[in-house]
Amino acid sequence: MFLQTLITGLSIGGIYALMAVGYSLVFSVLNFSNFAHGAVIMLGAYVGLALATKLSLGFGLVLAGSIAGAGIIAVLNERLAYSSLRRRKAPSLYLMISAMGCAVFLENLVYATIGSRFYAFPEFFGRQVVTLGGSSISLLDVGAFLFALAAILGLHLFINRTRTGIAIRAGVSDMTMCSLMGVDLDRLIAIVFLLAGGFAGVAGVFLGVKYLVYPTMGWVTNKAYIAAVIGGLGSLPGALVGGLLLGIVETFVSTYVSSVLRDVFSFSMLIAFLIWRPNGLLGRDSEEKV
Amino acid sequence: MTTAQGPLFSVKGLTKNFGGIRAVDSFSFDVGEGSITGIIGPNGAGKTTVFNLVTGIYRPTAGTMLFRGEEIGGNRPDSIVRKGIARTFQNIRLFNRRSCLENVLTPLLQREKCSFIGAMLGTPGARRIEKELYGKALDLLSDLGLGKYASYQANTLPYGLQRKLEIARALATDPTLLLLDEPAAGMNPEETRSLANMIAEVRKKFHVTILLIEHHMDLVMNICSPIVVMNFGTLLAKGTPDEVRENPEVVAAYLGKGKRDNERAAG
Repeated sequence: MFLQTLITGLSIGGIYALMAVGYSLVFSVLNFSNFAHGAVIMLGAYVGLALATKLSLGFGLVLAGSIAGAGIIAVLNERLAYSSLRRRKAPSLYLMISAMGCAVFLENLVYATIGSRFYAFPEFFGRQVVTLGGSSISLLDVGAFLFALAAILGLHLFINRTRTGIAIRAGVSDMTMCSLMGVDLDRLIAIVFLLAGGFAGVAGVFLGVKYLVYPTMGWVTNKAYIAAVIGGLGSLPGALVGGLLLGIVETFVSTYVSSVLRDVFSFSMLIAFLIWRPNGLLGRDSEEKV
Repeated sequence: MTTAQGPLFSVKGLTKNFGGIRAVDSFSFDVGEGSITGIIGPNGAGKTTVFNLVTGIYRPTAGTMLFRGEEIGGNRPDSIVRKGIARTFQNIRLFNRRSCLENVLTPLLQREKCSFIGAMLGTPGARRIEKELYGKALDLLSDLGLGKYASYQANTLPYGLQRKLEIARALATDPTLLLLDEPAAGMNPEETRSLANMIAEVRKKFHVTILLIEHHMDLVMNICSPIVVMNFGTLLAKGTPDEVRENPEVVAAYLGKGKRDNERAAG
């Protein structure tokens, strides 16, 4: 029972981490809360669903298609809704309001065109389970956790080793200075949104396979915001740690305390962190950006 | 010293409006290749705005800026840097949480074309390029006397050294024209003197032309020629240090016209 709960927690935590990483990446570069991130996750799930049901593709191709689709949607979202505000150096509140508008718009677009029905992915893994130490563990859960871990490790290498990754890190400290080092900011920001969207696509497919696909499924990103705050806003390792921690705590509360109290616990944790440790577990000092 | 086509950098009729305020008003000046040109003027004269226009942070309202005969007005900052104009800031803007080495490495990397996959996996080819760039970055730091601080976090350096690091980082973009915005701000006379020597050395060693804004008159008068004087966004005077020093308009702009001067003019 304990091991099973832990694995479920890690798998949900892995999905939270995937969502939190994308959200955190955009936050650290553009310094605003991209509330449309959840809508991109939702659209990513629909892209995956279409590939799986209409074209009957296998899981790998569904995942790849969803990553590409959500990545492109995220880039378009930035180009259409944020770039003109950004170029005018608008305060980040304006970007945030624009992001909220995008979230509502995209959700209603899905309501209007696809409808409010709940869809299920085909059974990719059946109900395959492995038995470990007397408890049965779903293969999907293990897979989701391992894939999330690998994807985030890949992003970490990208950010720390490649030319573009190092430019992103420079942009995190000072955008203007970054452009004065010879970095094309429009291209850099497009790459950041492509990455965030790609991660949203992965999260969307895993969420859809684990649960269902529906227009408001993106609001689960609230959990990613909590994960990002717990880990430290703008920190990638923080998003991973925060996501996993939140997933484990939630699953244990559901299993051993009460599933009704699950979200009460999550949001209490958010408030506690904001009061006592606003920089999160691995965040940088908030004084840095003044 | 000018090339056959004319000066290295030439600004004509440069104008910038912020709402109803005209911060720069049909300002024109030339920078000859190899010179150390100084821009001076009272606070709020528009000097830093000129730098922001030249480096593409602001778009000019009107006017032309020719760099090696090519118009750069309205270009993006990154393309202007790639053409060979680099700058430092009045209030130092380093990548504070990064080491000195990483600060200098950032622009070096942006010039390099290294493969994405290679860098991710750390292939021998990518490692070789990386090693080469590390070497270049260390050389640059040593040239500016920062060799032993390579691994220090940038914002832990003393103020004077942070300024040098900013200059090193600007040089890492391989500029032809280097803009220094008040490099001696907050320095004592001794530090200012050593900075003056360093600027002269940098010009020789890196074959750069320098355009600098400065309030320390001894620094400007010692190393700059020609000097361009700005006031209220316009050109007030230009010439050699001696010409500028003797110019009555410049003296008036700096010291204000006293009561006695007015009386004398009336009398």
